Amino acid sequence: MMDANFNQPQRQSIIGILVMFFYSLQAYIKALWPILVIWLFKFDEVNKIYFFGGIVSLLAITAIVSYLKYLNFTFYIDQENDEFIITEGVFNKSKTTIQLNKIQQVNINQSLIQRLAGVYELAVDTAGSNKKEVDIKAISRDLALDLKTRLLANEYNVSVDNQGANPINDVLTEINTENVEIPFIKISFLSLLKIGITSNYVKSFFIILAFFISLFDHIKQLTGKDVLEDQKIEDYVDESNVLTVIMLLFVLFFSTVVVVNLVKTIIRYFDFKISRQNGSLLLSYGLMNTKSTILKPEKVQITGITQNFFQKKMNVLELKITQATGGEVGNHKQAIEIPGCNNFEKDAILKLIFQKIPEKGVRLKPNFRKLGFSLFLTIGLPLLGYCFLSDILVEQFPMLDCLVVFYVLFIVVIQFFLFKNNRLYINNDFIILQSGAWDITNKIIKPNKIQAITVSQLFWHKNINIGSLTLHTAAGDISFQLGNFTAIKQYVNFWLYKIETSNSNWI
Amino acid sequence: MCNKPETTNKMQDFTNETIDTTHLPKFEEVQFSTLHPNYWKVILIGLGISFLIIGAGIGIALYFNEKFSSFISELSALFVFVVLIILFLSRISFKKKGFAFRTHDVLFRYGIIATNTLVIPYNRVQHVALHEGLLSRFFGLAKIEIFTAGGSSSDIHIPGLDKEQAENIKQLLMGKIQKQL
Repeated sequence: MMDANFNQPQRQSIIGILVMFFYSLQAYIKALWPILVIWLFKFDEVNKIYFFGGIVSLLAITAIVSYLKYLNFTFYIDQENDEFIITEGVFNKSKTTIQLNKIQQVNINQSLIQRLAGVYELAVDTAGSNKKEVDIKAISRDLALDLKTRLLANEYNVSVDNQGANPINDVLTEINTENVEIPFIKISFLSLLKIGITSNYVKSFFIILAFFISLFDHIKQLTGKDVLEDQKIEDYVDESNVLTVIMLLFVLFFSTVVVVNLVKTIIRYFDFKISRQNGSLLLSYGLMNTKSTILKPEKVQITGITQNFFQKKMNVLELKITQATGGEVGNHKQAIEIPGCNNFEKDAILKLIFQKIPEKGVRLKPNFRKLGFSLFLTIGLPLLGYCFLSDILVEQFPMLDCLVVFYVLFIVVIQFFLFKNNRLYINNDFIILQSGAWDITNKIIKPNKIQAITVSQLFWHKNINIGSLTLHTAAGDISFQLGNFTAIKQYVNFWLYKIETSNSNWI
Repeated sequence: MCNKPETTNKMQDFTNETIDTTHLPKFEEVQFSTLHPNYWKVILIGLGISFLIIGAGIGIALYFNEKFSSFISELSALFVFVVLIILFLSRISFKKKGFAFRTHDVLFRYGIIATNTLVIPYNRVQHVALHEGLLSRFFGLAKIEIFTAGGSSSDIHIPGLDKEQAENIKQLLMGKIQKQL
């Protein structure tokens, strides 16, 4: 098996032309289907010669392009530098080089077309970007398996001394070989109740709103009547009672939101247990179907702690822990939520992740211009639009002016709190970003989890010395806008120093 | 990945030697290299082609639609104005793009109204690619793409490099990455 030679650039299986042909054809049809549909509907009117000529030339172009793609696609392993090198492209040529030890996953798949052609697809995933870097579309089974072994050979060597290389295997072996420890944290039913009634108002509000709208829509379609017609409501109640009815509806709606929230939280997180295993955390939860997740402290990228005013009074908070997402950035399943911890439990979890409790260091505040700009975006621009349209709109809805005043007041309050709570705390080991208006979130990262740093400054902010900072991590970005630019630059230099002098693995 | 002993070591190191943050090398004082002048031609040709296509499209639409043909001078003035604005912004963007390679990291400066500087330490680079567009190849230029695990917002794309220089940079980066491991 191991004697296949990958040291010389080689092409895919010859049948790959066929596979590429069908894939390209699929892509073209996807792009051109509106035209094709129109042609089909107007089949009688369209000139037959054009029609078949078009189809034949489409097929011919696809065939030529697939042949060229096949010719230009080569791959090989550079033994000296331990690199996997792929060249591809017909008009735009590109050459991708991947370090063997950066490869996270090698997947061998077979689609229907590939099954018919009797070949396999080999996809290589690194943590580099969100799409698969390399996709060899047609390769025989033996060669695919062989190549996979060769590509991952490096990783197996590495994984002897660090045991985090293959999470799935780790999970399996850990669960099989070790008795699960007694959970050291159990989220009580009371805590879940507290969280259920105090969180996610906005999210649930929109879910319920969407539900009602679709419900009314269905009723309208079935009965042909519009339930929401203005005059109808006035038919049912007296003019004087409108206000009480609105209040009543509001209370009813709000209590529905709370109840739905509560039920959702309990079904999802019932019997939440956290136990320790080999330095990892094993979480299990759920009423209907129990879910288990493993959390490796060294893979944690961003730790978020969210608490609002009510929750603070009741001593509950939510933790959201994001792990390295591997190749698939944007895979939100990697975010683990722990609802309803109290402060004591939070500290225990943070200690496990960071070995100590993160403290808030030097505080950076955004410039007041940030508040001004947010107000301009959320109030200034809509008001400007309203000025233009008010003549038409006010005729139809006389109450609109009141609503506008209410909106402005509401947004001013929200923006003020957003501004007041937006802080960046920095000390030697932690960077903590605080944000939020009602739900206040503290995102904690360690400087060695930073992948790249962007600093940014608008040219008219040069004189007043303010600018923005974005820290890119494997679990998303952390941004702080319009802070003291001198301080930001100084910290960036410090973080770069820390990252570049330590060899610790970020993952 | 046995982080535990390592981090405790680091913590001790840290309390032992206090770093004078004012004497750290400053990324903001780095001299940036600008892109190859020929790359401006590549941008111009690319823009020219798209303007031609859009202009032709609008022209044809005007020709067949009589309602709009009375506004033809206003519309063409508007079109020219938009073209000029786009050319102006592209020129600023081209002028502002710059890169620098330090011993431990790569810097890329870009932006139009804002000046953004993106810094990637070499030990966070996932892989490097060299890309030659059709037009760029004609001028002997290439683009270096540097990827990290931080998602597409933290990748650096340096266009408008001399092909040979790009190859050298790629070799340099590959060497740097390897050294880190």
